[in-house]
Amino acid sequence: MTALIRGGPEDSERANVLPVLTVRVEKDLETLVNRFLARKREDLDRVRAALATRDFETIRRIGHDLKGAGEGFGFPELSAFGAALERAAIARNERALKEQLAAVEQFLSRLRVTFR
Amino acid sequence: MNSATLKDPEVKTATPSPTASAAPATTMRVAIVEDDPSQAELLTHWLELAGHRCHHFDRGEALIRALDQESFDILVLDWNLPDISGVDVLKRIRASRQSGLPILFVTARNREDDVVMALRQGADDYMVKPVRRLELIARLEAIARRGKHRAEQQEILELDVYRVDCQTRTVMREDRVVELTAKDFDLSVLFLRNIGRLLSRGHIRETVWGPNAVVTSRTLDTHVSRIRNKLGLTPENGWRLAAVYRYGYRLEQLDAAVPRTPRTDER
Repeated sequence: MTALIRGGPEDSERANVLPVLTVRVEKDLETLVNRFLARKREDLDRVRAALATRDFETIRRIGHDLKGAGEGFGFPELSAFGAALERAAIARNERALKEQLAAVEQFLSRLRVTFR
Repeated sequence: MNSATLKDPEVKTATPSPTASAAPATTMRVAIVEDDPSQAELLTHWLELAGHRCHHFDRGEALIRALDQESFDILVLDWNLPDISGVDVLKRIRASRQSGLPILFVTARNREDDVVMALRQGADDYMVKPVRRLELIARLEAIARRGKHRAEQQEILELDVYRVDCQTRTVMREDRVVELTAKDFDLSVLFLRNIGRLLSRGHIRETVWGPNAVVTSRTLDTHVSRIRNKLGLTPENGWRLAAVYRYGYRLEQLDAAVPRTPRTDER
């Protein structure tokens, strides 16, 4: 997962051939996890829109929330992505933000959650 | 991840077994101030699994307003909120009539000076997100044990002329058993475990009748009046079970030699 978090172009190409990432989560969290992941996918649209208008504060807040919540739901990678998004937004680093956005999208597209 | 076990490089588990936490010594009424809905849902889920009752506020001002009419056993407070900061919430609570409310900060702010500032402003503990479920519950319960809720752990309460046995559910007054209904017993225990603490009507209703019960104010007042009479919680006996206008009740132990004048906000 470290390669994904770093998110450079070579990593993205390599990730295209990476297998599905399956995460097992306790059954009692099924509703919450599904709702959480749906919200995070919506957040990616908001990050994309905010990037277009250079609204770094919105991206910082989204990154901050992702950093705080990801690991609690069983996705430490999302917490790491959130921290990276927050840092890049504070630094107003558009290139890093685009790379992180692509990395999160890639992670979520590979993710399969099973409940037991 | 919460004690995650890596089964193989691409398959992992996300949460510890729900059986890993013991049942709480006592149910707490927990206020959660958290603007991220996912985080709020997760904290609520964990705490309710642990046997506590949660009330969520997505703004600091919403909690401050609620505290005019509600009381809680503990507050879980985020720092970054859309309206006022968690530290401002903390300062306002410490300057209010609910100044003793135990507060646990749960925030993604991890700088040492943030932690120090929150603790110096009066937070009881501080956790950096992402938090782990069992640790969160353990810390909350530890704060409660350290604080005024220590009495809630006790099976036998001995106060003045009263002796309360929570196992046999009996109350003795001057060595004589006081006949109480089940609800009156629960109400008596709630007050006797919280002497001097202002309890909101919502808090009393939820603790004695349960979170979903429909109990009118008149019913609650009737029960309070009944235990006041049966237990003799009156100024001539050194006690006062005072109604606080538009809020709830507070049981006070008075200095026997000096009868106290009612406050202007009490009826």
